[in-house]
Amino acid sequence: MTGRPLSYGDPAHLAAHQFLVEEAALLDAGDYDGWIGLICEDIRYVMPVRVTTARGAGFDSLAGMGHFDEDAYALRKRVQRLATDHAWTEDPPSRTRHFVTNVRTFREAPSELRVESALLLFRSRGDTREPSLISAGRTDLLRETPDGLRLARREITVDESVLRTQNLAVFL
Amino acid sequence: MTMLDVTSLVTQVRRGMVPAHIYGDPDVFAAERDRLFPRSWVFLAHESEIPDPGDYVVRRILADSFIVVRDESGQVRVLFNMCLHRGMQVCRAELGNASHFRCPYHAWTYRNDGRLTGVPFYGEAYGGEDGFARTGQSLLPAPAMGSYNGLIFASLDPDAPPLRDYLGDFAFYLDFYTRQSPAGVELRGPQRWRVKANWKIGAENFAGDSYHTPHTHASVVDIGLFREPKANKRKEGALYTAGPGAGTTYKLPPGGDFTSQLQYVGYPDEMIPQMAATWSDRQRALVGESGFMISAATLFPNLSLVHNWPQVDAGGGVVPFISLRQWQPISERETEVLSWFAVDASAPEEFKQRSYKAYLMCFGISGMFEQDDVENWVSITDMASGSMARRMNLNSRMGLNPEGKPLKEPLASFAGPGVAFQGYGEYGQRHWLSQWGDHLEREPYTPPVRDLGAAR
Repeated sequence: MTGRPLSYGDPAHLAAHQFLVEEAALLDAGDYDGWIGLICEDIRYVMPVRVTTARGAGFDSLAGMGHFDEDAYALRKRVQRLATDHAWTEDPPSRTRHFVTNVRTFREAPSELRVESALLLFRSRGDTREPSLISAGRTDLLRETPDGLRLARREITVDESVLRTQNLAVFL
Repeated sequence: MTMLDVTSLVTQVRRGMVPAHIYGDPDVFAAERDRLFPRSWVFLAHESEIPDPGDYVVRRILADSFIVVRDESGQVRVLFNMCLHRGMQVCRAELGNASHFRCPYHAWTYRNDGRLTGVPFYGEAYGGEDGFARTGQSLLPAPAMGSYNGLIFASLDPDAPPLRDYLGDFAFYLDFYTRQSPAGVELRGPQRWRVKANWKIGAENFAGDSYHTPHTHASVVDIGLFREPKANKRKEGALYTAGPGAGTTYKLPPGGDFTSQLQYVGYPDEMIPQMAATWSDRQRALVGESGFMISAATLFPNLSLVHNWPQVDAGGGVVPFISLRQWQPISERETEVLSWFAVDASAPEEFKQRSYKAYLMCFGISGMFEQDDVENWVSITDMASGSMARRMNLNSRMGLNPEGKPLKEPLASFAGPGVAFQGYGEYGQRHWLSQWGDHLEREPYTPPVRDLGAAR
């Protein structure tokens, strides 16, 4: 897209990387109120459905269908739901670990950074069930605001066509 | 391994008592594989997924992979995805567009109607027709196929009854989900994911479990995703059984007519005249006079449907959505869920977008209803896999008295075909299980086997 990634020593890159690590810490601690505080009002949070296609097909995700396609209202409803006493699928909660790596930051606009990262989500439920793994790339748009960086857009490019996890009651 | 006593199993199920191990027993799964799926009509795809010549999707019936393809003449074909030569999977993509399918192993090539057109070194290798009769060879078509409202089904049984005969009275209900205008529906998706749950649990749930809604789905009521507290609304709905299907409905507000009831669930004014013109008098009467709106349903064996109307923004209005989902069995302990969003093809674009949002918030892998359902179903499967489950017949007799007669009279004022009762009851689940029992009691299916290309 726009040019070369910022140098690893660039303060904007360091801030973006730190944002992603801090965000992962909130998610792994189950601090969804803290997490939802990091989104912009105009956020789009999307996760296309990946599909297996021939090399020459020119597409590898479904048109018009995602695993997530969220605005701020929908994300807040999800967070509110997890805070109720009746969100059974996360009570008992999953133990999750968001591993964030391969971070590259691009200056997209005077106050916006595009940040690409690789994510591996480990999720364990209960004592006897097999854990699940979700591997994905993420392309984020982070906006510099007076309160610090905020998430304006996230596109999650999951690396499986058929997901091996019981649901997406977790954020990526 | 114990021998499966099918007769005893089916006898229990017919009493409304469900041996708990059927949700986690490899022997039961083997019986389903050998007796049920070889004879059932199984949903594969919708025609809107393959609109143009050459468009295809690859779908399965248990372990069997089929290419569902629209050929150059526009006809939909269902072709077994195995090369006639060495058995290679001919098409390894999930979807795309192709005029031909060429096997990567030895380059045998098939037109998109299935016909074998290319065998490399045909003369040198086989000596032509004498060695391998190429003329007339085709990828194996599904033994039977049929479509209804663009829904494409296949059966592994060449003697299956015609699809329309099979659907019977359930077609009446299927129309609400898949024919809201002459344009029909368009499907988007599917989302696919694998859950460690037995496939029967979801199928039964959608067939009639209105009883779980107030508790399992309490959280979505807590957060105001719905206009009214569903916990109370659910028990006023009617549950019906019709043909090979069964489903649930919601009771609509009193005093409404056809138009106002569809407005109540959020259909825009542009769509309602189309629905009025497309549906029969009886279908309109179910909404306008009986005052019921279709919700969840299952068509035996493993296609479920759902229709609901959440609030998708802070504005307070509700927006209806439709989803189709298939419970694709992987093993007695694992199911692949395929979940599509469906919407009337001629609906306004803005409605389609809002309805899609409503779907994503409620159903599919991230849906806030579906999340809690799957947690329950995984737990049931876990519990059903041990030895204690063999000592319990689960009570699935809700709505029956000790003599096995319904506790109440069927609804007299229900415009739809089949039998309907108002309030909670496990009518739909028993109806589903009774068909399951019918299949298990039959002998394993023994298919005909043929030689390919043998000299005549």
